[in-house]
Amino acid sequence: MIVELKGILTPYTEQAEALENLSEETDFIKDLQINSANLVDVVLDVEEKFGIEIDNDSMAKMLTVKAAIEIVETKLAESGR
Amino acid sequence: MIIMAPEPTTMLWLLWSMKESAYKVLNRNTGKREYNPSGLVCSELKVNQSEATGNVSYGDNVFFVKTEISDQRIYSVAAHTVIAVEGLTSYHMHNTAGYMDKFAMARPGYILKKEISGLPVVVELQTGRNLAASVSHHGRYLAVTYSGSLLLKD
Repeated sequence: MIVELKGILTPYTEQAEALENLSEETDFIKDLQINSANLVDVVLDVEEKFGIEIDNDSMAKMLTVKAAIEIVETKLAESGR
Repeated sequence: MIIMAPEPTTMLWLLWSMKESAYKVLNRNTGKREYNPSGLVCSELKVNQSEATGNVSYGDNVFFVKTEISDQRIYSVAAHTVIAVEGLTSYHMHNTAGYMDKFAMARPGYILKKEISGLPVVVELQTGRNLAASVSHHGRYLAVTYSGSLLLKD
């Protein structure tokens, strides 16, 4: 899933090195320096890519790659995929 | 509110910018990290062609926010009191990898650096004071805001 996330994150960050070394520990704001307006784009792109809906409570926690993966996996499991 | 506004795009980014500025204070004071734009509520909004003022609340916290509106940018600053808002200094520049060095060159007597925590601080060289600072960016644009009265504890 990290590969798919990397594709989604690429247009929204200038931090090439952090993107190249993307791991579960990567922080969208601290490491990739994605701003709040672009973080919405990331959330929308993740929804579209995985065919899920991310509610506000989940979005509030979506600040790292690890959190994003957990949210996507939970939503996919909830929808029986 | 956004759709009914004379300029919906400006209103959208005005509200977003106000919320963002309040969140930055909240994050700084509490260390809490949360991406919850709808949890921040704008009120008392007064808007004219070049400026807006208003409050943003989050739970029991109320922040006073002042926004500069132009065709180039919508930029908000927030603090717990109106006086603190007025005491903030903002410097607008291009978003480049070397923005910290450029800031120091443009503002003699001040340097911008990041704490170990990742939070920015402006050091006033003459006094050695550490001034609470905030850096924001969007595309090619970057701004540094700092306060002469809000000091960081060592």
